[in-house]
Amino acid sequence: MTSAPLSSDHAQRFLEGRFRGSIEALPGAATALRLPLGTIDRAASLLTDEGARFVSVFVAELPERSLVAAFAFRGRIVALRAPLKDDAAAYPALSLHLDAARLAERELHDRKGLTPLGHPDLEPALHPDPDDVRLRVVDPEAFVIPYGPIRSGIFEAIQHVVETGGEDILQLETRPYFKYRGLESRFDGLVAEQGSALAERIAGIASVAHASAFSQAVETALGIEAPPRAQLWRVVHAELERVANHLDVAMKLAEDAALSVGVARFGILKEDVLRLRARLCGSRFGRGVVVPGGLASEPRLAVDDVQDWTARFERDLFSDRRLLLGTSSFTDRLIGSGRLDRETVERLGGVGPVARAAGISTDARFERPYGAYRRLGFDVVTADDGDAMARLDVRFGEIRESLHLCRQALDRLLDLGETTTRVEVPADESAAFGWAEAPQGELVYWVELSGGRIQQAHIASPSLHNWPLFVASFQSDVLTDFSFIEHSFGLTPAGADR
Amino acid sequence: MLAWILRGLGKGVVTSRYPHRPEPELEGFRARIEVTNSENAGAELEAICPTGAIRVEAGRVSLDRGACILCGACIEVAPERFRFSSAYETADRRRAGLVVGEVVERTLEEVRLPLAAQARPLRRSVHIRHVDAGSDGSEEWEIAALTNPYYDMQRLGLYFTLSPRHADVLLVTGGVTSAMRAPLERAYEVMPEPKAVVAAGTDACSGGLAATGGEIAGGVDRVLPVDVYVPGSPPSPLALLHGLLLAAGIVVEEAAA
Amino acid sequence: MSDVFEVGFLILFAAVPAALLRPRLGAAAVAVGLALVGAVGIATAGAWSHASLSIGSWLGFGPAALVSDQLAGIFFAVVGVAGAAVSLALVERRPGRVATALHALLALAVVTVIGASQGFLFLLAWEVVTLSLYLLAGLNRERPGTLLAAYFSGAMNKLGGGALLAAFALFYAHTGSFELNAWAAAAPHLSSGTRSAVFVLLLIGFGTKVGLLPFQGPLPLGYAATPGAIAAMASLALNAGFYGLWRVVYGVLGADVLWQGELVLMLGAVGGLVGILYAIAQDEIKRFLGFSSVEHAGIVLLGFGVAIVGRASGEPKLAAAGLLAATLQLIMHALGKALAFLGADRVDVSTGTDDLTPLGGVGRLLPRTATGFGVAVATLAALPPFAGFVSEWFTFEALLQAFRLDDTLARLLLALGAALLALTAGLALLAFAKLYGTVFLGRGRSLLSRVHEPSGAALGFLGLALLTASLGVLAPWEIRWLGHGLEGLLGFDLAGTTVTGGTRLVLGPVFENFSVLAPTWLAVALPAYALATLFLVWILARPRTRRAPAWTSGAQLAPARVQYTPAAYSNPIRVVLRPAYGYRRDLQPLETTGRSIERYALDTRVVPAFEHYLYLPIASLALRASNQARRLQSGRLSWYLLYTLVVLLIVLALVPALRS
Repeated sequence: MTSAPLSSDHAQRFLEGRFRGSIEALPGAATALRLPLGTIDRAASLLTDEGARFVSVFVAELPERSLVAAFAFRGRIVALRAPLKDDAAAYPALSLHLDAARLAERELHDRKGLTPLGHPDLEPALHPDPDDVRLRVVDPEAFVIPYGPIRSGIFEAIQHVVETGGEDILQLETRPYFKYRGLESRFDGLVAEQGSALAERIAGIASVAHASAFSQAVETALGIEAPPRAQLWRVVHAELERVANHLDVAMKLAEDAALSVGVARFGILKEDVLRLRARLCGSRFGRGVVVPGGLASEPRLAVDDVQDWTARFERDLFSDRRLLLGTSSFTDRLIGSGRLDRETVERLGGVGPVARAAGISTDARFERPYGAYRRLGFDVVTADDGDAMARLDVRFGEIRESLHLCRQALDRLLDLGETTTRVEVPADESAAFGWAEAPQGELVYWVELSGGRIQQAHIASPSLHNWPLFVASFQSDVLTDFSFIEHSFGLTPAGADR
Repeated sequence: MLAWILRGLGKGVVTSRYPHRPEPELEGFRARIEVTNSENAGAELEAICPTGAIRVEAGRVSLDRGACILCGACIEVAPERFRFSSAYETADRRRAGLVVGEVVERTLEEVRLPLAAQARPLRRSVHIRHVDAGSDGSEEWEIAALTNPYYDMQRLGLYFTLSPRHADVLLVTGGVTSAMRAPLERAYEVMPEPKAVVAAGTDACSGGLAATGGEIAGGVDRVLPVDVYVPGSPPSPLALLHGLLLAAGIVVEEAAA
Repeated sequence: MSDVFEVGFLILFAAVPAALLRPRLGAAAVAVGLALVGAVGIATAGAWSHASLSIGSWLGFGPAALVSDQLAGIFFAVVGVAGAAVSLALVERRPGRVATALHALLALAVVTVIGASQGFLFLLAWEVVTLSLYLLAGLNRERPGTLLAAYFSGAMNKLGGGALLAAFALFYAHTGSFELNAWAAAAPHLSSGTRSAVFVLLLIGFGTKVGLLPFQGPLPLGYAATPGAIAAMASLALNAGFYGLWRVVYGVLGADVLWQGELVLMLGAVGGLVGILYAIAQDEIKRFLGFSSVEHAGIVLLGFGVAIVGRASGEPKLAAAGLLAATLQLIMHALGKALAFLGADRVDVSTGTDDLTPLGGVGRLLPRTATGFGVAVATLAALPPFAGFVSEWFTFEALLQAFRLDDTLARLLLALGAALLALTAGLALLAFAKLYGTVFLGRGRSLLSRVHEPSGAALGFLGLALLTASLGVLAPWEIRWLGHGLEGLLGFDLAGTTVTGGTRLVLGPVFENFSVLAPTWLAVALPAYALATLFLVWILARPRTRRAPAWTSGAQLAPARVQYTPAAYSNPIRVVLRPAYGYRRDLQPLETTGRSIERYALDTRVVPAFEHYLYLPIASLALRASNQARRLQSGRLSWYLLYTLVVLLIVLALVPALRS
């Protein structure tokens, strides 16, 4: 997917040339293609063959009630929009040709009652029963170990049903949606700031990313832009959040390898980041900072202080990183575990560090730059091996890039004269996509506004995309490798289940 | 290994001495919201809060910390009545204790000293089993932070255990989704007596933002008897430590009975 | 004592036809006869009396007699006591006529081997043992694999018999007599080449019986095929092979060359490891026990090898240590394995299956079987304070004396043997834990509603269990008794320095001031500690109990589905040691709907290395050779006339040459 990005009229011509349907403009770097419901699966398949990546499928209300399948295609979001008549209850399933769409279609079926015809695996997804496990291996020698929903450790709730012959893993089924809280529906009727507070609490460890994506969507829909000061501080907060998440992954991997000193040192580093955020904005997770229109409050630290802190932190971090990666008893457990190849990742529409570690250069900050990322320089870190070690390497590379981005943003903030951090949010009727690169991967929001309140919102979570990748990454691994592979993915079930 | 040791020695001691010594409050940290003026309140204040934590009765306004997600909307609209406070000892053994009006709070010392007595050396150790019943993921980070060198809860005799059969305290986060209800009940049933349940986070105390959706039970106390409520979104590690020490006191008291 | 001896043999002799008429009477007769013989053995080995029964010269090749001297007494005691218990258990089982007759024949033949004073009688009885084992293995012809087991064990034992015949022929050629005593007198005067050849032939001959590497193949197959409780008797037949090693190799031949000891040592060590590795991978009880026999035979031979090395290096105490360890091990194994086979038979009768996979949770339903089998498992897995622990301790101590030797290679090999023994012991714990746990403990994996103990008082079974359990505690007396029994072979009474202490209950490894073990005190101390702890807990904690379901991560699945299956228990070893096992697993898709696969079938394979790389090639070679040879029998008269003419010409040419 290294083809040239499309500008809006190029997009129009490209799509018009290949698909039957009318092009509609969407605010921001997005294009909609209106087509009849019966052809949506073929259109999706054709688009994927051209190199598009599946993002989500949902029901939109604006401008009319329609089924929308969103794809990331050459620097734009392409939305295939098929109007739904009142009695429409079924549509041809995208999953027939697109493995990446299976989970999203199952959820849509449960929430809205639309049946995807021809779906290979249509089982109820929401409200899973922990006791109802479907076993696949028919042999008296094999037995099943249910990992979850209550896990061994301080982890979020998800159930992995492992069928094993004793040490080797025969089959793995990951069942998300144990934490389904119905928060997407909660957006209905909220005002913009309240929507930001809700977005922050969907995936608590990626609060800034969710608030950024949400605010981005609102601002794009209403045609406003946050002032430069706000955009730069948003970058600082987002990158600090990324650093904290990646340090958490390193800490969990060290804990799996029983490297207590690694756990302690990375725990200290992560705590340092959280304490800095608390001093900056009053919340250890960066909540209450990003709202549509800019920032909700002034940062409480001077730029110099943050820069000093960043310099000290980087020195500490890289010493610890060198020691960690030099411990062969740790790296031996990661090398070769959970290997993912490029084709599988592309087929399942993977995003985030997981996809980057398999050699795919995909990053929302790079493909569809937003906010201050349009003016800051950074590299997209990739690796080729696709195993757990590659994922950790990618994460350490991203930490380096994040600190580099922070430094650039802080330098610009020093030079920036103006002081406005927030603009007014008008009460128009509109709808748009917004996105952000969360630590887990590309996060996309669809927000519909009317009369100053949110009509509905939809979230395409990176963790939900990547759970099928997790299942596919088990080749010849054994039970003792399981926690390494799971933690090297670094996904959050709260974000996936919403 | 030597390199690790030298680095560790170079860092020095970073562990907090709470509860034996007071831990300085982090200035500006949003630990909880206080009501500064509860008189002469109009009913329109109730509409500000997305979770309905603000109640106005007979002209007096009260704030239910168990439902407060610390979004700050009330402070933005009525800064003369509400403000953030960085006092982190927010846990309480009764649900009603989380509802505050303009109440004179107990001083830090009054709370800290009994807890310090509980955490004396050679006291019985307490094992904690954490269960995620539908949280947003940040409470788990704060709970895991209790084992890092800054807080080091093991110096107080608190340990995390993986099997509920070895646990004294059940630490629940999240407002109990329908799928997690049965596993949570099973975890409680399998724990031996005496046991205590701690509801950590606003979602666990009252269900938080998702409470109106119908997908969750609306707080852990709809499913299990809760002994300690720790509000906060998420509660900071020190608040969790305070709450766990209260629970440890419950467990030790019950065992002696 | 000689009259008791005679009566015992006569009863055994009469038991064979009696069993054909009334099987239970025959089995009871075998029990009585073996008990008498066993009593004689105990008395003789303790040097309290002597017994012999002369048969006369009607067999040819000189006078024959059945003698019970000190060494033979040990083996008479073992086979007699254990065999009596086994036969007693058989009485309750209502066996078939032919099976019981063969059982009686086997018993008679084994005790004849042990008592034979003359080589021809020895060989005759040996072949009868082979014959009865072959017939027993092939009894249940309908079961698959039975004929293969019968042929294989028959062929292997014939190979051994052939080697024995060659060795005895060599002895006869040099002495002109078949008397074992004559051979013992002439042995020191044989040339070293002859002695080496005889040693190798005897090793092959006796090794095929006991399961020496690389002849161990038929052992597990044979046990699996032998019906019911008679497999216990078949495991006692192993001791005939051990007796041959003790008597003919160590006693008559007087093996005292270093390389011979080292060879036996290494074969024993590696054989033990191979045996237990394959035992772990088995999912049937009797095959498991067969491979476990290979493992224990390896440990016995380890001690035996140390004995030869000791004698070759001029260290009589080291020889004594090795021989004592080997003898203790074989006594323990005889009793424990017989008990295990009886237990396996009881499980088979109660549940209808010998396969581990569908069993589970049977312990609550079969308490007596579980107890007896538990004693057998604890003994065989060398748990303190049982007899297996004592004998393995002695074996380790004998190996640890390597520092007293001068030859570097010998010291190295002894150390290597100790390391392999340690590995074998660890794996044995795993293997027996799997066996006991998957059969008796946990939850049942299939519906076993009508499982109950087999009818009968289980006197033989429980009696043998009691004896096996107390063998460890009785170790000091056992060693004093063995001291007399082995005096003939060693030249001195080892009990003097082995059993020490004021109470004469502390054991040492023949060398003084090296190390000590007191199994009798252990048997008192360990339960005392356990009871004291329980008492303290009960006094101080006053626990109240409440039952709650098992914890499986919050999901409530059927317990049988989330338990480790027997194959899964040994799976980690198979995965980690993949090259050694040749382990492969395949998932075959069974059902597919659309693009997702619904069900898979699992196929796991372990490559048995010896069958694949040794036995099968040799067998196919032999078949090819015999196919070629068959061409000689063309069926044409002209060819046969030609053969006759050729032979006649050869004879005519040779006779004058021989004459002169």
